Amino acid sequence: MPPVINPEKCIKCNQCAEICSEDVFYGSQKGEVPTVTYPRECVHFNGCVAICPVPGAIRLRIPLPMQLVYWDADEAV
Amino acid sequence: MQTKRIKTDVLCIGGGIAGLMAAIRAAEMGADVVVAEKGNVLYSGCGRMGNDHFETYIPEIHGPQRDAWIDELLRTAKGEILIGKDLLRTQFTKAYDIVKLWNRWGIPMKYKGRWEFAGHSFPGRPMTHIKYEGRFQKKILADEARKRGAKIINRVMMLDLVCRNNRVIGAVGVHTREDKLLVFEAKAVLLGTGKCSRLYPPLTPGWLFNDAHGGTQSGDGRAMAYRAGAELQNLEMPQRHIGPKYMARFGQATWIGVVKDQAGQPAGTFVSKPDRRYGDMLCEVNKLAPEQYTRSGKGPLYMDCTDITKRDLKYMHHWMQNEGYPSMLNHMEANGIDFRKHPIEFATYPLRGGGLIVANDRAETTLKGLYSAGDESFGDISAAAVFGYVGGENAAKFAGQAKQVAIGRQNKVVGRIQYLVDGIRGRASGPDWQETGVALQQTMADYVGKVRNESLLKQGLQHLRRISEKARKTITAANPHEVTRCLEVLNMLEIGELTFLAAMNRKETRGLHVRPDYPFTDPTLNQAQVIRRAKGKNVLQWKPY
Repeated sequence: MPPVINPEKCIKCNQCAEICSEDVFYGSQKGEVPTVTYPRECVHFNGCVAICPVPGAIRLRIPLPMQLVYWDADEAV
Repeated sequence: MQTKRIKTDVLCIGGGIAGLMAAIRAAEMGADVVVAEKGNVLYSGCGRMGNDHFETYIPEIHGPQRDAWIDELLRTAKGEILIGKDLLRTQFTKAYDIVKLWNRWGIPMKYKGRWEFAGHSFPGRPMTHIKYEGRFQKKILADEARKRGAKIINRVMMLDLVCRNNRVIGAVGVHTREDKLLVFEAKAVLLGTGKCSRLYPPLTPGWLFNDAHGGTQSGDGRAMAYRAGAELQNLEMPQRHIGPKYMARFGQATWIGVVKDQAGQPAGTFVSKPDRRYGDMLCEVNKLAPEQYTRSGKGPLYMDCTDITKRDLKYMHHWMQNEGYPSMLNHMEANGIDFRKHPIEFATYPLRGGGLIVANDRAETTLKGLYSAGDESFGDISAAAVFGYVGGENAAKFAGQAKQVAIGRQNKVVGRIQYLVDGIRGRASGPDWQETGVALQQTMADYVGKVRNESLLKQGLQHLRRISEKARKTITAANPHEVTRCLEVLNMLEIGELTFLAAMNRKETRGLHVRPDYPFTDPTLNQAQVIRRAKGKNVLQWKPY
């Protein structure tokens, strides 16, 4: 579920949890790896990824229902 | 529940573009200012991830005939006007000054040292929007507000205005992370709240927060304005947008492509090749095109950027980074989706609640001491910035001569909210906010949706009132976060009911208000339908724009 945190890389600064307006990280505490408490309330705007100071510590997984639909003329149907 | 009391001259509810611009201006005028934001101002509101288009009139570029330029806008891009022309005149008198201010504050409003006009315009017609790098606009505006002494309080959902003698004297909200009530005593209040975007089912069934507005925009501002007696307008006139399927995003004008069918045939006549100055205006003048194509058996429709030059692709990428598209671009890269190879399907997005809080060109609502700006009154980034600034100035002036009025512990608004929240938190079982939200959305879509008639509207209103009554008595939440979500749904249920009443009373077909029982547009109803609560009853009136 989005977002996905890599606990090995996370420096527990809690900035992602602080800036998320939907508060999907509700209940997270500074000094701990944030918890994605309400993943279904994520709007996938990338704010948490943009503010994270460590590249690769957090990423968004785009859920299956939100995948883009595109036409690939080379793909056999 | 613990109560915190805060005194201020001007309270800005909502820390989006309008709320922050109001805070900046009111603080500049010498007022004590507090911004109450439901999320975090750094990433809240519609402009949270940036914007790349700002609508402005620049005399040295467009010439001295401003009103002629406004008329041209009205004839073309703006479509049917549902607001007063005086608002447009104020917007375009002041927008350029705001552009220059933003540029000075560090939001790059120029591209390569010049005003870059592109997008949202028809080939051969006057250009209306400059490109700008709005990616960090929220942080910059929040810093400017703080620099002037405004205090920003994040994580508070404002719920109700407090009035005395027909004047707003403050507002009451709840903390979204703690069991805490916040009572603001304010000489003037500005609503910079968002639209009611979760009234109808989302683009993706079951995925309630797949919304280009973000997830927090639940019509809190219009609900509290209505309960306090302010006028709301045209709730029955829904809106629809267009954008990539299935990832709900605004910013169709940022795409440099041509809307085509699968065989590569353009759907419109505005452009035949991707052009960095002009996106395909079909997306703006007929947002229903993808739905109509599909229904007529000719779908799907794509935004086809496959003919874009390398240089223009880089240009589009740059602006997409500023217009809230980073997660989509990451998704494309991770999945090998390539603008130059793959046409991307566009969809007509579902209905969303229409209407606004009535405010004049001074951002004054119909209640003394209450101002409104931005999406809830007159949206788009430029209008939000202009009327936020104007509203902040007028709110500060009003506060300068108004008395601070104490809100007592026995105040009935405070009591109502306390009772409501205690009820939600105290129940052992019952529907949660999601269950209630689904019941609301399906009723809206089925009974006051794309097609309406008297019987549907009457039946839907009965059903919605039953749902609403049950929800008020039984809705439950496990913590303050869920309480906030419940309160949002209760607000939306109230707005939903008003939408039914307004739709019943507009006995004509106009725009997306489609009533086969009144199939023609009635020219005498080319007016705003206003609804307000007076002495416990709903009053509907027609007023000229």
